[in-house]
Amino acid sequence: MTQDDLTISDPKMTAHNVNVFYGEKQAINDVSIDVGTELVTAFIGPSGCGKSTFLRSLNRMNDTVAGAKVTGHIALDGEDIYAPSMDVVQLRARVGMVFQKPNPFPKSIYDNVAYGPRIHGLAPNKSDLDGIVEKALMRAGLWDEVKDRLGESGTALSGGQQQRLCIARAIAVDPEVILMDEPCSALDPIATAKIEELIHELRGKFAIVIVTHNMQQAARVSQRTAFFHLGTLVEYGKTTDIFTNPKQERTKDYITGRYG
Amino acid sequence: MTFNAAALLLLIAGLALIGWIAGRARSNLLAARAQAKLHSRPQYHGWYVALWLFAPAALFLAVWSAVSPGLITNDVLASEAAKDLPAFGFERGAILSDARNVAQGKQDAVRIPAAAPLVAPYADATHLYAWIGIGAMLALALAGGLYAFTRIKPDFRARTRVEKIVMLVLLLASLVAILTTFGIVLSLLFESIRFFRLVSPAELLFGTNWAPTSGAPQDDTFGGIPLFWGTILIGAIIAMIVAIPIGMMTAVYLTQYAAPRVRRWVKPLLEILAGVPTVVYGYFAALTVAPALREFAVMLGIPNASTESALAAGIVMGVMIIPFVSSMADDSINAVPQAMRDGSLALGATPNETIRQVLIPAALPGVMGGILLAVSRAIGETMIVVMAAGLSANMTANPFASVTTVTAQIVKLLTGDQEFDSAKTLAAFALGLVLFVVTLLLNIVALRIVKKYREAYE
Amino acid sequence: MSRTTSPTDWKGGAMQARIAKRYAAERRFRLLGLLAVLASGAFLAFLLFVMVGNGLRGFTYTNVAVPIDFKAMPLTVDASRLGDADADQVIAGAGLADIVAFAADEALGDGGSAMISENAWKEVRTAIKADPELLQGSTVFHLPASSEVDIAAKDGGKGATGAKVDALERDGKLSTGIHWPFFRNADATDPAVAGIWGALKGSVLTIFIAFLIAFPTGVLAALYLEEYAPKNRWTDLIEVSINNLAAVPSIIFGLLALAVFINWFGICQASALVGGLTLALMTMPVIVIASRNAIKAVPPSIRDAALGVGASPVQVVFHHVLPLALPGILTGTIIGMARALGETAPLLLIGMRAFIGDVPGGICSPATVLPMQIFLWSDEVDRGFVEKTSAAIIVLLIVLLSMNALAIYLRNKFEKRW
Repeated sequence: MTQDDLTISDPKMTAHNVNVFYGEKQAINDVSIDVGTELVTAFIGPSGCGKSTFLRSLNRMNDTVAGAKVTGHIALDGEDIYAPSMDVVQLRARVGMVFQKPNPFPKSIYDNVAYGPRIHGLAPNKSDLDGIVEKALMRAGLWDEVKDRLGESGTALSGGQQQRLCIARAIAVDPEVILMDEPCSALDPIATAKIEELIHELRGKFAIVIVTHNMQQAARVSQRTAFFHLGTLVEYGKTTDIFTNPKQERTKDYITGRYG
Repeated sequence: MTFNAAALLLLIAGLALIGWIAGRARSNLLAARAQAKLHSRPQYHGWYVALWLFAPAALFLAVWSAVSPGLITNDVLASEAAKDLPAFGFERGAILSDARNVAQGKQDAVRIPAAAPLVAPYADATHLYAWIGIGAMLALALAGGLYAFTRIKPDFRARTRVEKIVMLVLLLASLVAILTTFGIVLSLLFESIRFFRLVSPAELLFGTNWAPTSGAPQDDTFGGIPLFWGTILIGAIIAMIVAIPIGMMTAVYLTQYAAPRVRRWVKPLLEILAGVPTVVYGYFAALTVAPALREFAVMLGIPNASTESALAAGIVMGVMIIPFVSSMADDSINAVPQAMRDGSLALGATPNETIRQVLIPAALPGVMGGILLAVSRAIGETMIVVMAAGLSANMTANPFASVTTVTAQIVKLLTGDQEFDSAKTLAAFALGLVLFVVTLLLNIVALRIVKKYREAYE
Repeated sequence: MSRTTSPTDWKGGAMQARIAKRYAAERRFRLLGLLAVLASGAFLAFLLFVMVGNGLRGFTYTNVAVPIDFKAMPLTVDASRLGDADADQVIAGAGLADIVAFAADEALGDGGSAMISENAWKEVRTAIKADPELLQGSTVFHLPASSEVDIAAKDGGKGATGAKVDALERDGKLSTGIHWPFFRNADATDPAVAGIWGALKGSVLTIFIAFLIAFPTGVLAALYLEEYAPKNRWTDLIEVSINNLAAVPSIIFGLLALAVFINWFGICQASALVGGLTLALMTMPVIVIASRNAIKAVPPSIRDAALGVGASPVQVVFHHVLPLALPGILTGTIIGMARALGETAPLLLIGMRAFIGDVPGGICSPATVLPMQIFLWSDEVDRGFVEKTSAAIIVLLIVLLSMNALAIYLRNKFEKRW
């Protein structure tokens, strides 16, 4: 793998020689990567290449899968997230996640966003909580659409709105990193455009890692791109370089549509 | 010569077998002779003949078995010897059955002398009707068989015919369920209406004094409120206080925390708990739990502590319901999409926060449906309350006192030596009607909720 | 360091205390779950412990050695009649009961006849019928003790009779053996001769009848509903009926049977036939539901394949779908039958709670079933019946658990994932 023109002076998250196993099967093979603080990093690759699996190991969501095992070193601000001293509840508050399919809780819009701050005790009183909810919904670009019906069920929104609600839900805990696992794959083009716009706006406030099978999307939203294939990291670099001047034959084949 | 239905059934089954072989052979033969291809394979022709042979005869046999004893008795009663019989009542029945037993060889000699002259007429009538029955049955069988046999031709669509009959049989089988439901509704309604002619429905539903066996019929009162209260206290309150928390927590533990190995052991354990017959639970409640609770109550100084307490019956019933609640809750929690759980965990919620604030609220409709079904099962449960709750119709909220329930009273009213038409036995049917309607409503509502809930996540 | 460090101070004391509290709540919750599972387990263990503790004693019985000298007290019966059908009456008429009582008084001291069961002489009678030579000499018979003596002996000589029992024990006159009458006899008022064979046979007959009716009806109805039924109001009605019947309290079926089978049709009351019919109606919905699930699990591709080679719809179902669904159907049927076997309430209403002292001869003769026998014995005053009740429960549980185990085995063995 090539890392020569990778210039990230202060990485938010670092991964060294990471392997992920599901039972006997090895899903990720010796992946090392740094995630920049103010950057959007895209993971691309054909389905089943392990990009989602790797993403889920960045906030230890693989812990919830029976038989999953992660080896190697992954750190957040230099702190090993798999160390016994690392508290997984706090880790996930600091490294938020947005899923492939919008998954709002069957609660009101307000309660969906307030859920995280409530469990972590981030708002001492009701007006603080209202402020957090409003800010998160504003940042997610949903405030104007829902401000008059915060009491309605989150599941009553359209697909694109639901996904922005989920992003607001993740933002509300004030995370440092947001992981997005193919956040637009279940959405229509207009909703997708809105999410992409949102990612642009969130960039700089959060470190964002997005998994996508859509190369145009990666090219549009990210500054760094990592290409995964069969559980290995084939190439990682500036997005412009990966798409215009890939160093690896396999990357070139993939982005020119030879397979995937 | 008596009319032995089982043997005759075997006889026509044998004839049907012969018909099957003959029909099969004939279809082969005809096909060979005409050098034509059979429309249906030979065994279908066989089945066609066999069915025509068997079905009408068997139907006749069923009808004749039901009708002929009455005909025989009529004949005997019309005979000269029956003139001296007592007009009505028990004695008349005893004499007749004594004579019948001797005539049919079930006993060697009459036990009641008055029956002796009736033996010969009985024997004659029995013979006569047996021969008529057998003759008619054989004639039907042969006629049916011959009719079918003559219709066999190479292009005869025997398979289609046989399959039509098969479909008819399938349809009839599925109608048994409706028939049973109608049977329940009609028999309960019919007897209840007779009861309500004697006692007003308002008294049963709103009366507060239950005393159906006060000794003097005019003093009997049928106020159902104490029974309904006892049923609710045991089945819907005490049993649910035991079953809901334990069942829910069991389901939560098994679905969210337990290792697969633990699940493999605990699930069969719950199945055993669900498979223990209710009479065993009842015995356990009466033998072990109730005396222990009574001692406990006496220790606390609670008045009216009885060895037949609502608490003993309710606790044991609750334990009986645990597997039911836990499996319903298990299904409901499992039906909540994994994404919901992941979404909560990814925000940094602990498993118990996820379960209590996301999974259980999401699973609530399903769980509620399950609980309604559990209540319906608890209030219809009989043996535990018969054995452990007692029969005194008290209106008390003291769980250590004895109360009675609808089911316990149904059993009590129907197991004495009452005549069938007395108000007491009819009251049992009226109580049964109330129980049926209430459980039916609970079931319909619960099944609808559960179904809606399943659809919501599909 | 990074500019985007979150404003939340995760390392702060307040936050750490909060996290600690949340983890404590987590541990408590998890413990609660474990306790719930353990509570069910503990209850089951306690129940089985009580039943086995009481019941194992019910399988044995105390016998008292009583020598009877028929030369001193001749039983005057015509030896040639001992092989006759009415030998029982002949021997009883000759006064054997008195002879045995007298011999017991003689051997055990005053009140000795009260220490053996009042039915003990029937054991002697059985022995004499088997070997008429016994009448010519003196023999030591090991006769069943009275219920009181049996309990005192099993309790190790406590209570009022304890002293006498101790004395017998010292003289070596007591022996304990398997209580064969328990397995061989029908109900009786004396625990020394009461047995479960009558109830067991009644249960077998009843369940057999229930199976004969419910299994074919249930499976055929399931086939119709799942494979052929058009979607209309009638089939909806059938569906609703079946789902509700499966949840109707069992005692309602007892009321139905009483009103229809006994009062309208006049089918023999309290018999295995009427019991079987009642349980069949009760079990059929269970079988229909289980069968439908099993039939549903057969993939449509199999049906398409069979239809594709020209099989008629009936052939498709009977040649392909039914055989593939059969293991699932059988599993459901066994579980339904096990439930019917343990059922008591509806049978109470159709007269099966009467005392039946004979082993049922046929499906129309008065019979009782094992759960009913348990219920009847649980009401007996004689303390000897406590352990008989528990022993009968052990037998019933063994039968039911083996049926359920068989069902689980079938399910695991034949369960296919398409």
